[in-house]
Amino acid sequence: MRRCAQGLSLVIIVIISCAYILDDLTLLLAGGILLAALLGQYLLFLYRFRGIVTSVAVQRSLERSQVRKGMILRVETTVTITVPPPMTARISDSIPLQVAIQDGDTSIPVEPDLNSRTYQLKYRIMPVMHGNCRFPGISLTVRNVFFENSIALFADPFSGPELLVQPVGMFDPSNRQSTAESHEVEKLKVVSGFGIRALREYYMGDDLRRIDWKLSAKHNKLYVREYTGMVNLPPLLIVDLPWRGAPYPEADLNRMVSVVAGQAEHAIRFYQYVSILVISGANILHFTPEEKDLQHCMSVLREWMHPAERMVHEYHVHDRADIRGNVRHLETVITQGGEPGSIVFSGNLRKQYLRMMMYMQATAFTGQIARTLSSVAIDECYLFSLGCGDKSHIRQIIRQAKIAKIIVHIRLPVTDIATRDPISNLYREADTVEAFA
Amino acid sequence: MKQEHRDYLFLAVLAAVVIGVTAWSGSPVWYLNIIFLCLFGGVFYAAGSWHDRAFYLVCAGEPLIVACGIMNIWAGLFAMWMVAGLVCNAMGMLEFSHELKIFVLFCGVTVPLAILIHVSNHVVLPLLILAAGTGAIFAVETIRDHQFRKQYGAHP
Repeated sequence: MRRCAQGLSLVIIVIISCAYILDDLTLLLAGGILLAALLGQYLLFLYRFRGIVTSVAVQRSLERSQVRKGMILRVETTVTITVPPPMTARISDSIPLQVAIQDGDTSIPVEPDLNSRTYQLKYRIMPVMHGNCRFPGISLTVRNVFFENSIALFADPFSGPELLVQPVGMFDPSNRQSTAESHEVEKLKVVSGFGIRALREYYMGDDLRRIDWKLSAKHNKLYVREYTGMVNLPPLLIVDLPWRGAPYPEADLNRMVSVVAGQAEHAIRFYQYVSILVISGANILHFTPEEKDLQHCMSVLREWMHPAERMVHEYHVHDRADIRGNVRHLETVITQGGEPGSIVFSGNLRKQYLRMMMYMQATAFTGQIARTLSSVAIDECYLFSLGCGDKSHIRQIIRQAKIAKIIVHIRLPVTDIATRDPISNLYREADTVEAFA
Repeated sequence: MKQEHRDYLFLAVLAAVVIGVTAWSGSPVWYLNIIFLCLFGGVFYAAGSWHDRAFYLVCAGEPLIVACGIMNIWAGLFAMWMVAGLVCNAMGMLEFSHELKIFVLFCGVTVPLAILIHVSNHVVLPLLILAAGTGAIFAVETIRDHQFRKQYGAHP
């Protein structure tokens, strides 16, 4: 009961009490009719409340069906509902206990309308516990001037979908162990890590503590372990800006800029410096090596983080390694045999590829990237891109980084992650491909 | 018809009926009806912009209904309909045609109640019937509400 109904109830009780004490039928008439009016309103409210509940249809979609713990995920809930006047309602999306809300609205007021209306709740969540979590449903509060009633709609039509939250450890590369801000690399370093990089024969002067006794006993020869190196280097941030002459997702660019700024700040805070390379396609725009000043770093980002003009454009540019791979594949096809037409076609294509290789030169961008990567002490780099247009330059960056034994993390917009070809060689060569949150 | 027009219509009919019944009955306490009618009219104008206008109208209307009911129970019932109309109008509950129908239905339901009270000699029996009816309605609605929540609010 709301305040209005509470006041009326008080009046009814007073009048009926007076009627009973004074044995006055007129007072009873006044109190009885008032009671009938309130009861009628109550029945009418319940009737309309049930009608509203039966009109509810819920459709909920998650950005992804499985995420790792700590990742931010977008949720969209569409609710169709009919709330006849003079009722008003409020819809609240019930959130599983295992997730925390990052931003957005999980509750929305519903205006009265004789026709059904559709409302959308958009918010972002962050799973804080791993395991399966199912969205339980919605909570509906309906009120008029006299009464208010709430119901938690947790039945099957209102609940779901299920979100699988993976523990963070399952996504870590097996060859890389992190301890605070240090991590292991497959290189020989002054400070040893915990992982074993290789096993080799014992040479005079090797540390006896590194002898692998089990392997030595098996082969009757002394073997020593070579441990991975422990490094504590900040990553190189490579920002691939979109071309000014083509449409690009503005919201994704804004999000990318904020993520890059956050990562740069984190690197300066924990590693004391950060290196930032700003590119746009196959054009190097700006390079800030080992920047220690956070404010200067932010001013550089402010200056450069906008769509840029591209002097050089690339379109499906292959390098020699790609062509050699294609030639090998065609030779395998020809060797295995098959339809005569197919063999002739493969042979001609192979000839074309070989002719291309004769005149093929490394692009200027490849050389620039190689020189840039060798000029800074890094063992991993983060490449932020919107994934717009041609991606040849991304392939070249990944390849040069791999040559320099640098771990490459690619960060793309959520939409690009969702629609990317899972068997695409471009992203397969990177160590991790994730959405920037 | 606009809300203001409905207000004036209900108030005019109420005033006419109260004055007419008072004049017709020739009661020695005729002035009570007029005083309560003036009180109700005063509250009606004074509470024009108040937040809980409907509640004040109910409180001001009840003495008038009782005073009219003492003279003639049907006059009291009619006064109750008019006051209920003004209260409903103040709460915006007569905007649509289906709401007007509900109001008319309410007026119809009150007639058997008035007949019951009219034929009774004492308060106890109609009061017990009222209490039993109210209890039965609450019991039935509680069970229905439980079943409804079980159907829609069940955990998957």
